[in-house]
Amino acid sequence: MSSVNPVPVVPPERYGEVFDRGYAHYDGPRLGRRQAVRSLVDYSVKRAMGIRKSWTAKVVPFLLYVAVLIPVIAMIGIDALVPDFNFSSYTTYVNWTLVIVGIFVAMAAPEMICVDRRERTLPLYFSRAISRGDYVNAKVIAVTLLTTTMTVLPLVILWLGRQLSADGVWKAIQDNIGDLGRALGVGFLIAGTLGVLGLAVSSLTDRKAVAMTIFIIGFLVLQALAESSVRLLVEDYEWSRYLILISPPQVLLAIASAAFDDATLDPDSLPELVDLNLWVYVAYAIGLMTLCVLFLRWRYSPRDDA
Amino acid sequence: MTEQVLGPAIEVVGLTKAFKNFLALDNLTLTIPRASVGLLGANGAGKTTLIRTLLGLSRPTRGSAKVVGYDTESQGTLLREHVGYMPEADALPMATTAADFVAHMAEMSGLPTRQARQRAADVLYQVGLAEERYRLIKGFSTGMRQRVKLAQSIVHDPDLVFLDEPTAGMDPQGREEMLELVERIYRTLGISVVFSSHILEDIERVCDYVVILDAGKLVTSRPLGNRDEMVTEIIVQIDGGVEPFARALEGQGLEVVVDAIDLGRDEFIVTLADQGVYDLVRDLAVHQAAGLRSIRPRARSLEDIYLDDVEAAREAHNE
Repeated sequence: MSSVNPVPVVPPERYGEVFDRGYAHYDGPRLGRRQAVRSLVDYSVKRAMGIRKSWTAKVVPFLLYVAVLIPVIAMIGIDALVPDFNFSSYTTYVNWTLVIVGIFVAMAAPEMICVDRRERTLPLYFSRAISRGDYVNAKVIAVTLLTTTMTVLPLVILWLGRQLSADGVWKAIQDNIGDLGRALGVGFLIAGTLGVLGLAVSSLTDRKAVAMTIFIIGFLVLQALAESSVRLLVEDYEWSRYLILISPPQVLLAIASAAFDDATLDPDSLPELVDLNLWVYVAYAIGLMTLCVLFLRWRYSPRDDA
Repeated sequence: MTEQVLGPAIEVVGLTKAFKNFLALDNLTLTIPRASVGLLGANGAGKTTLIRTLLGLSRPTRGSAKVVGYDTESQGTLLREHVGYMPEADALPMATTAADFVAHMAEMSGLPTRQARQRAADVLYQVGLAEERYRLIKGFSTGMRQRVKLAQSIVHDPDLVFLDEPTAGMDPQGREEMLELVERIYRTLGISVVFSSHILEDIERVCDYVVILDAGKLVTSRPLGNRDEMVTEIIVQIDGGVEPFARALEGQGLEVVVDAIDLGRDEFIVTLADQGVYDLVRDLAVHQAAGLRSIRPRARSLEDIYLDDVEAAREAHNE
């Protein structure tokens, strides 16, 4: 007869828990408009960069970022290898990459504004803890912040690369600290002006492709208009120098050229040809941004059909 | 609880909204309690305009309004922290997941990020989208999109939620499920509801208070819950001849309707002038040795109220 060994009794392992998923009222903090605007900025930036969207939405912004960084790497690399060549220049860099930044804004701004109109999300936003002005402010902050990463960051990297490749690093930093301030200022002005212009154009339509086309074609047309009119009139009429202001990209390039004063633009280029004072350009850029923001506020003011 | 939370849901005084050549709201004055409120009216009656004005999305031409104690014009932002809104039209970003969008809308109402994400998950569970919350909205059916809109309207735990035609465009099953959800919002979750619809059945099913608009004018604002107040007639069922018994009642001074379409052959209607009518019918049945089978109240349906009140309002307006 076989004996049966007693089986030790062990407590069963915990295999599950019961949760009460009933609705709970919220009695935590409510952070008001500040949190709403912060959230709208964050959401807009992520959407423009394709974050939390399909991988295809991320490809173009990523490629554009790579495209603005390549000249920086090339400049720093060539400077390090051939120091006497003086290849790197802030103005040249801005000249090379302004088109890429323009294309980036032409994609990002409509993504931030047109989609809300097209998908009729605006009534939902305006039924939350924000005013219409807050909505516009959030979009302006979002596009400016995002574009600033594309304009300021490479300029700062370029500045840093130039100092590190100099013979005396610490002395170079001390001598050229002013360039860093100029890089920040120029980068911010380019980002702000292009970004807010992009939003203003995008507010005219709810179709992203239309907004993008208007933005790019508009800049090309204004560029051609400024080029032709200045070149035609500049020798005979002093005032015609101001016709450069017709073209925002030329103004931004002129700001970079005048701010860094590194004389690397073609002497026959428009900014060199008209040679206006830096502060004329800066005042114009700030005025343009202000006008665009006022236009956006008007576009999003309460309307009975909104 | 604040004073705002304890007062009526909505107070409107002389509210008028005029468009270029059209008066959408005409001098509305009413007080709506914290309840499940049906906002009823035909298409173009002014329901959506009233909701948009109460949310501060549209400025009134004249008059003022307070919602959960906040003035719609001077305290609009504060007010919108405490109310929710589900619009009739599609209003969702297609390339976003339900969880991301609902959490974003919670943040838009001022909730900190972590709490917003937690509540988004909880509320999507409540509306039956727990499994689907990480899917892009563009892959959702109409019913699921309506649920996302409902979830975003209550994610920040509002005191009051405006639902503009929440069952529009839904199939019968989806509609039934949506009505159950709406019913739960007030009865279980304790959030006051303003439910705008032109479908009487939906309002009757879900609401216990009704506001009826017609051509921008207030027709009536009254509770639906007290059925006794809505009983104005009784249905009498007897064995034997209906006609002689009905004539005898008329002889007692009562108003009687025989051959009503919706009644059986052995039934007729007696107007309930007062509670003594029940005794009169009983005594006469005893007196005539008639077999009295039943006396039951005939409640006015919401449709009756709607038709009677709208007709009366139109007549008054024409005079």
